[in-house]
Amino acid sequence: MLVARYTLPAHRAAFLLGAGEEADDVVQEAFVKAFRHLSRFRAGEPFGPWLLRIVANETRNLTRSRRRRAALVLRLAGPDATVQDGPVDEVLAAERRAGLVAAVNALPDRERKVLVCRYFLDLSEAETAQVLACPLGSVKSRTWRALNRLRGSLLPDEQTRISSG
Amino acid sequence: MADRAPWLAAAEAELRALARELEVPPTRDLTAAVRQQLEDRAASGRPRWRAPVSRPRWRWPRGRAALAALAVLAALAVVVIATPQGRAAISYVFRFGGVEIRQDQGHSRGQSPGQSPGPGRSATASVPLPGEQRMSLAQARRQVSFPVLVPAALGQPSQVLVSDGGRVVSLIYLGTPYGQVRMDEFAGQVDQIYFEKIVYLSNVTKVKVNGNKALWIKGPHELLYIARDGTTAEAPPRLTTGNTLLWGTRQAALRLEGNFGEQTALAIARSAH
Repeated sequence: MLVARYTLPAHRAAFLLGAGEEADDVVQEAFVKAFRHLSRFRAGEPFGPWLLRIVANETRNLTRSRRRRAALVLRLAGPDATVQDGPVDEVLAAERRAGLVAAVNALPDRERKVLVCRYFLDLSEAETAQVLACPLGSVKSRTWRALNRLRGSLLPDEQTRISSG
Repeated sequence: MADRAPWLAAAEAELRALARELEVPPTRDLTAAVRQQLEDRAASGRPRWRAPVSRPRWRWPRGRAALAALAVLAALAVVVIATPQGRAAISYVFRFGGVEIRQDQGHSRGQSPGQSPGPGRSATASVPLPGEQRMSLAQARRQVSFPVLVPAALGQPSQVLVSDGGRVVSLIYLGTPYGQVRMDEFAGQVDQIYFEKIVYLSNVTKVKVNGNKALWIKGPHELLYIARDGTTAEAPPRLTTGNTLLWGTRQAALRLEGNFGEQTALAIARSAH
């Protein structure tokens, strides 16, 4: 059944695109809309991105109705990223990841969504364009801008320390 | 970004690695909730939804695995599937080269209740597709991802239009022996955006163009553009002005519309390269 099969990726997309705790509701609504519009689904088109576009729409409606920027702050899973014990390398790597997550969180909304689609949901540029309902060129330019903004957090550690003062 | 800097590749790799570490809360099984909501809406919906609808026959040309899953759904969605606003129940649906053809019951040929563009209107000119831009043929070729075919039998087009972010190219020929002729070409394999036709099946004949399956549709019928996500028809429906031939190549779906007969249309189509 489609719902069972696509719930997980749809939920992940909704959550990471900003639906937060309401991701389940967003996904449920998206499925209902998808089924109601099933007659408009084009044969041969992958169902996943089509559904994700509806999910992204619903998420946008939700965050818009909250009247604030996508309320989500991405977090790292697992033990506290600032864990102090363990080998130095691991501590540094954890700090680095935490820094990167913070940098992604600080990105402008549009750029962050593109990064979420491209790298966290593992969509192609074309799929990202479809899901976010924007031209392919915008996906490319936003990815480029976002990666450049993140460059400071992504550079080797020493330079990161210098640039972050 | 042809020559990617090393830092860029590293950055992308690092972000992908980060994806595995992000916290995403668990989800619950939504199957029952979704089904319940669909049933509730169907039950409380307009009476039209409860009107008897014979089960549509589906033909899925591609993507069998995903569509097998969809077929399961068809039973669930059959109540709500036939609900374009203000239209009669659709009794037959099939798809061809990205074009969906539906038989519409209960109203006269080529007429759409409440949405008719009106007789005598030059529909081709008056209803632009989303983001339609006029440009030269050479420019159009640079803008789209598929080879643009030009029918040698008609020569160079009077106008070339590119629409919807390069997904559609339209060649317009003014003042031909067959009146105004229009050839639309869609990125058929890459993007799935198309025209939906509401026709009487008795007016549709299966033919071939250079060995590819084709459909010949006689007489005016309603034509509406459906954007890629399938959820927005940005242009209003229009009535076609003449007869239409639909066919496909590996890279594009094509439609040729004009006031010509079947043999002329086939000859024009065969000359497209």
